[in-house]
Amino acid sequence: MLNLTKKILLAFLASIIVSIGVSKTVNAKTVEIIMAAPDWPPTRFMQEYFNSNFPQSGDTEIKLTLDFIPWDNFYTNVAASLTSGEQKYSMIVSDSQWLGAFIEGGYFQKLNKYIDADPELQAIFDDMHQGYKEGYTTYPYKSENYYGFPQFPDNYVNFYRTDIFCNPEENAAFRAKYGKKLPCTYADWEIVVWDDIFNINEFLTRKKGEMMAGKPLDDDIFGVTYQAGKAYDFSSMQINGFFWQYGGDIWDESNQPNAQAEGVVNSDVNVEAFTKYLDLLHTMHPSHRTGGMGIFEMQALYLEGKIASMINWVGLGAPVVDPNLSKVNDITGYSRQPGTMQDDGTISRWANLGGQPFVLTTWMTQDEIDAAFTIIKWWLSYDTQIAAVKAGGQSCMKSIIYSDGYNALAPWNAAYVASMDWQKDVWHIPEFFELLTQQQEEFDKAITGQQDAKTTLDNIAEFQQELLEEVDRIQ
Amino acid sequence: MKKKVIGQAGWLWTLLASVVAFIYFFPVLFIILTAFRSRSDTLATPPKWFFTPTFDNFYHIFFRSMSNSTEYVATGFHMYFFNSIYISGISVLLALLIGTLAAYGFSRHPLRGNDTYMFIILTTRMLPPIIVIVPIFLIFRITGLAGTYTGIILMYTAFNLPFSIWMMKSFFDELNTEIEDASRMDGASERSVFFGVCIPQVKAGLAATSVFALILTWNEFLFSLLLTNKLTRTMPPAMARTIGGEINVDYGLLAAMICLFIIPIFLITYILQNQLLRGVTFGTIKK
Amino acid sequence: MNRSSGFLSWFMDPKRRGPMLIAPAITVLLLVNIIPLMWSFGLSFFKYRANTLKLPKFSWFYSYEKVLTKDNIWETLQTTAIIVAGSVGLQMIFGFLLALLFASQFPLRKILLMFVLAPMMLSNVAVAIYFKLFYEPEFGLLSQFVQSFITGEMYVLLGTPAGALIGVIFADAWQWTPFVMLLVLAGLVSVPKHLYEAAEIDRMSWWRKFTTITFPYVRSLLLLAVLFRTIETVKIFDLVFILTNGGPGTATETIGVLVYRTAFQFFRTSNSAAMGYILLFAVIVLTSLYLYVIKQRESEEI
Repeated sequence: MLNLTKKILLAFLASIIVSIGVSKTVNAKTVEIIMAAPDWPPTRFMQEYFNSNFPQSGDTEIKLTLDFIPWDNFYTNVAASLTSGEQKYSMIVSDSQWLGAFIEGGYFQKLNKYIDADPELQAIFDDMHQGYKEGYTTYPYKSENYYGFPQFPDNYVNFYRTDIFCNPEENAAFRAKYGKKLPCTYADWEIVVWDDIFNINEFLTRKKGEMMAGKPLDDDIFGVTYQAGKAYDFSSMQINGFFWQYGGDIWDESNQPNAQAEGVVNSDVNVEAFTKYLDLLHTMHPSHRTGGMGIFEMQALYLEGKIASMINWVGLGAPVVDPNLSKVNDITGYSRQPGTMQDDGTISRWANLGGQPFVLTTWMTQDEIDAAFTIIKWWLSYDTQIAAVKAGGQSCMKSIIYSDGYNALAPWNAAYVASMDWQKDVWHIPEFFELLTQQQEEFDKAITGQQDAKTTLDNIAEFQQELLEEVDRIQ
Repeated sequence: MKKKVIGQAGWLWTLLASVVAFIYFFPVLFIILTAFRSRSDTLATPPKWFFTPTFDNFYHIFFRSMSNSTEYVATGFHMYFFNSIYISGISVLLALLIGTLAAYGFSRHPLRGNDTYMFIILTTRMLPPIIVIVPIFLIFRITGLAGTYTGIILMYTAFNLPFSIWMMKSFFDELNTEIEDASRMDGASERSVFFGVCIPQVKAGLAATSVFALILTWNEFLFSLLLTNKLTRTMPPAMARTIGGEINVDYGLLAAMICLFIIPIFLITYILQNQLLRGVTFGTIKK
Repeated sequence: MNRSSGFLSWFMDPKRRGPMLIAPAITVLLLVNIIPLMWSFGLSFFKYRANTLKLPKFSWFYSYEKVLTKDNIWETLQTTAIIVAGSVGLQMIFGFLLALLFASQFPLRKILLMFVLAPMMLSNVAVAIYFKLFYEPEFGLLSQFVQSFITGEMYVLLGTPAGALIGVIFADAWQWTPFVMLLVLAGLVSVPKHLYEAAEIDRMSWWRKFTTITFPYVRSLLLLAVLFRTIETVKIFDLVFILTNGGPGTATETIGVLVYRTAFQFFRTSNSAAMGYILLFAVIVLTSLYLYVIKQRESEEI
């Protein structure tokens, strides 16, 4: 009996030893990277594609686990995780504006030494579109300190109803009234400036029952619409574009400590630009009067056919072409958003870029860092990026966006790529949120008609000057 | 016709109550309807009151395609539902037990500084939770409670204690002590006085406390979001996933989740209604 | 046998009974609440921002001074007071009326009661999201109603400070009136019937019956309801944040929203702690006053 038991025990032990030995040779070790990510299709794709397509090599198994957090609470969750010292995440999808806050908090890692040491990474960085490299990875903005890689690049494009804008009767009527063509094709929209929108919106604002594109309307409709939302950064994203197109600027972070806020933010050209923004707003859908015309509200209106055009992020484009969600999925065209005519006859199209980079945290081990860079190289490789774009994502790698066939991958790609040269970003400094919140509040007051443009910009300039002087960013 | 304030009323009263109840319930009705219709029907202008119902939203609770590929994956929703039931149930029971004992203590055996203790217990509810979330987060991590059932149950029990204690003390204070004294004279032990005389009289209080504590815990969002992990997560953070992303709110999906989620509380409240409306006294005179 | 009864009698010794009964509750509360409260209280005396590597610097009342001298705190407290007064006031009135409605037995009472209790069972976030939809100028029921029957235009409720406040107050009151109703109802049904019968014999008027018999029974529960609803509503966050984001401008920015921004967006951690304790102080003062007045009136009655 004992003999048998002994034999069984020995066999058991032996099998354990063998299996350990076998696994040791097959998987020397596993490195797991946990990444905090907002819960939406572009990040879900990254997880799915990693699981199905990541080429494991060498004897180290790399595991990427995305921790999906609802978009609405993403920031709260990440902030709580970081500031509590939890050290749970090796990589984090971040918004470009949060860079300063979390870098100075000691959470995000500076990547220059890794890039300099690795020619492949060097090549990747050189391949990034300049505006996006500065927007997503640098802190301070436009410096040569690099902190991240693009997860989902984004910018504004114009989504418009081809059935309305290309309708011959409407075109004829418009031409008769205003002497210009109603923009229908991509090329048509290329020469549209904001002043044209006054006419377009006046023309396209109609009540229920009136005729449009040959059919009576079943509800009121409005023309071109852009954001006017208090939450997060919605209003600022559009208004910043106006400032830049008029030749003005926001406080220039890359010029610390000499750049001023007073005199810059409330300069005459800025007031002019902001007034134009507000005037145009009054030709748009009344929802803006709530100060709640954010990116989603606008999208809902467009999908339901209540507005003829929206200027919105490419990232919100997927539902537009989804027949289950959109009434206009097959009658939408895409173009660049209008610009502002300059004195020399060219059109300025400056806009605020969107999208998210991902970053590495400061507590990663060397193994984790190596694994992370392997993942990054895979993610930014041609095949993966193309697959991501096919699934609704975007790329900002020059070799990819300028390659043949890129524009065919998604209907808005042509507009997206062409807009990339006109992107700037808002501040990256840690005080970003305080500046933004006050600015959003003031803009909101102007949008809801409680104060005028000049007072608004004066208030903002004063606040920013005071705050930035207090933290020694202005002298 | 003499109308009594308390007593029997006829179908006329029912009619009045129905109208009022319907008006009050209307927004909830809207949510229920939204659960059964497509997004375009929900956002229809003018409002579409007659539509073809669909069960898609309910299906999507359990199976959804996460990215733009058409693969449908199980969402693990049932886990969150059971977690909610488990965590809420236990913390409410604990709060009821501990709270009622404490309330009895405060009521029948008042200490010096009784009012102070009661007041301090009240103050624990006064701070916006966002202020204490980071130290709590840290404490939970250090003690290893983060992501555990014990941790979040402890948290929710503490949430429910103040109301539990104040409510039950109020009920105990209203009781006539003559019955208890009489019972003690008859030789009953403290335990049987408590369980045999006091508790039956305060059933309404127990029922009300349970209902409110359950509702509070069931819908609690912030602490669950930050202190639970994938295994212990409750429903509210899971519902948050219907907001934001590529489209604003998935009204239908959220409504469907709400419909399912509200069923347990609805049932328990309905069952406890009798207790809630029975009242405090055995027909004795208020002192 | 001896040992256990000895232990139990120590436990249940009349002198110790009180403390023993309340000990578990105090322990739980201490563990979960006191330590974090002490932590953030302590932090409010330092100068600390969670997003910089600088260590907290002890600076006495610096944070408090900072918070109290910035104009917006007073405005915020005022906004909060308006919302609390409006919402709790509505809850009291309608809660009481609804309780009166449901106090008598009538057919279908149990089912109809459930309809009225349903709003309370929804989560804050759900109420906020759907009320935002209701108030929406294009898709919302309110606007469509106004557009179809009153004006021909879309109705923008949340576009004005007053409108936004009304919107928030109404949504909050709608959600929590059932709470007050239930408590008042529990009181109403516990009034002994024979008191009413005696009053009938005495031919008391309806109003006198109400004030001398009904109200005293209901009062303690009504006051409890008001107390708790006030304490909870002061902290209001989810509803406001989702519905109006504190707007238009800062018209609906409550202290809950301000504290969130200060702590999690601006990372002025010690300032947010200071804000919290200023708020706590204010609520403690108000609550003490309230309880004192109640006690006074109760002792007057006797």
